[in-house]
Amino acid sequence: MINISPLEGAIADLQAAKTTPELIRATKSLCNLHTVDAISALIEVLGFNNPAVASVATAGLIELGSQAVPSLLVSLDEKNYGSRAWVVRALASIRDPRSLDLLEHALATDIAPSVRRSAARGLAELNLIYPEESSKLNRCLLALLAAIKDDEWVVRYSTIFGIEMHLLRYNSTNKDQCILGLKQLSSNSESIKVIRLRATLALQRINAS
Amino acid sequence: MKDPSTENLNPPLTEAQVIANLRQTEDFSDQYYAAWWLGRMRSRHPETIPLLLTALDPLHGNPIHNERRAVALNAIRALGILQATNAEEKLRILLKKNDYSIREESARSLGMIQAQSAVLDLCELLSGGPEETEQIQPGSAKLKEPYESVLEALGAIGVASRSVIIIITPFTKHSRPLIRASACRALLILTGDQKWAPPLIELLQHDDPLIRRGVLLDLGATGWMPALPAIQAAAIENSLKLVALRGLAEKSEDTCVLDAMDGLL
Repeated sequence: MINISPLEGAIADLQAAKTTPELIRATKSLCNLHTVDAISALIEVLGFNNPAVASVATAGLIELGSQAVPSLLVSLDEKNYGSRAWVVRALASIRDPRSLDLLEHALATDIAPSVRRSAARGLAELNLIYPEESSKLNRCLLALLAAIKDDEWVVRYSTIFGIEMHLLRYNSTNKDQCILGLKQLSSNSESIKVIRLRATLALQRINAS
Repeated sequence: MKDPSTENLNPPLTEAQVIANLRQTEDFSDQYYAAWWLGRMRSRHPETIPLLLTALDPLHGNPIHNERRAVALNAIRALGILQATNAEEKLRILLKKNDYSIREESARSLGMIQAQSAVLDLCELLSGGPEETEQIQPGSAKLKEPYESVLEALGAIGVASRSVIIIITPFTKHSRPLIRASACRALLILTGDQKWAPPLIELLQHDDPLIRRGVLLDLGATGWMPALPAIQAAAIENSLKLVALRGLAEKSEDTCVLDAMDGLL
């Protein structure tokens, strides 16, 4: 009888899985091992173009937290925007400051709106708590400010969320510029109503604080 | 919709160039892209709407030039997005054309324009008994009329007269789930009667992801706030939930919806 480890077993199940329920079950048992050795297999799952399975793998990666960051940072697939969106979403939720460069670049240049949307949220929530990190915080805010002009409404929406988050949490030297940007998005020069609604709400919350 | 903009990113076009591209009649692909662009960018240039209206004229030719037809389809969509009320007359005439896609897009745009003058014409497309409205057309999977877009348009226009309600109601029993959903969506908007909501919530559990997606957008468009938890919990990707919640937020203006959207970014 050959002894295989739980990890080997879970990976074998994943490779044998054919249907979505099988893939979900195998991915869940991989996540439940809570081990860094499962990271590369979980990242591979993000590229299967199966949202139900990818969301399970993403949750597992987020649970592993900072340990998963180095592998996630080198796994952006240029040809698969679905997979990129999951990677960026995982990094955004883990909030590790090492993701700053990647998120900044993704928000400014990725062609997929869902990737830019998650990148904006990530830049809003990076865990930058030490005083010496204030220049990094400012980079996040400047990246968000630039994305106010994004063509996609959902990216502008995510950007408003990010700017609101920054201004409520931190003192920023760019506060006036941010408020100007939000005012523009709340005015009739913005054609999408939900953007005007969200920008108005952000301004109310910032003024109240 | 497919986004052709990535091919044209370098160099970016100016609005004036796009207007010139729509005006010329030599290069159809330039015209096609221009008609799409002006809607997508919500152009407010004074020449935009007159040029889009002109782009509809080839639809009255015989035979219809295939590439001009494609340009015209984009122009119909753009006129809807731009809510061009002065396009009502021309779009109403197109509802009578012998071309399913032209009728489908014209109905949808008349809905976006909220063209009350089109209600009778739209209702006419819904006429006929079940044997007629269930009949699949030879050589395609299409039915006789683009029922989904007509029903959606009637909901969007918002004329809740007795005759409109009577003509929509049988479609809540149609064999195609997305047509049932469109009918419930329209009736929920027009009557505010909550009895039309449960069938939509139920269809959100359908096995087919395409149906779940369509119904999710229908629920968002109704602005019916009790749908919020069902939309949040649906087994559908966040990108689409955000689109549905945008509909709900714009109709209800309730900040709960914005908080829900924040949670899906």
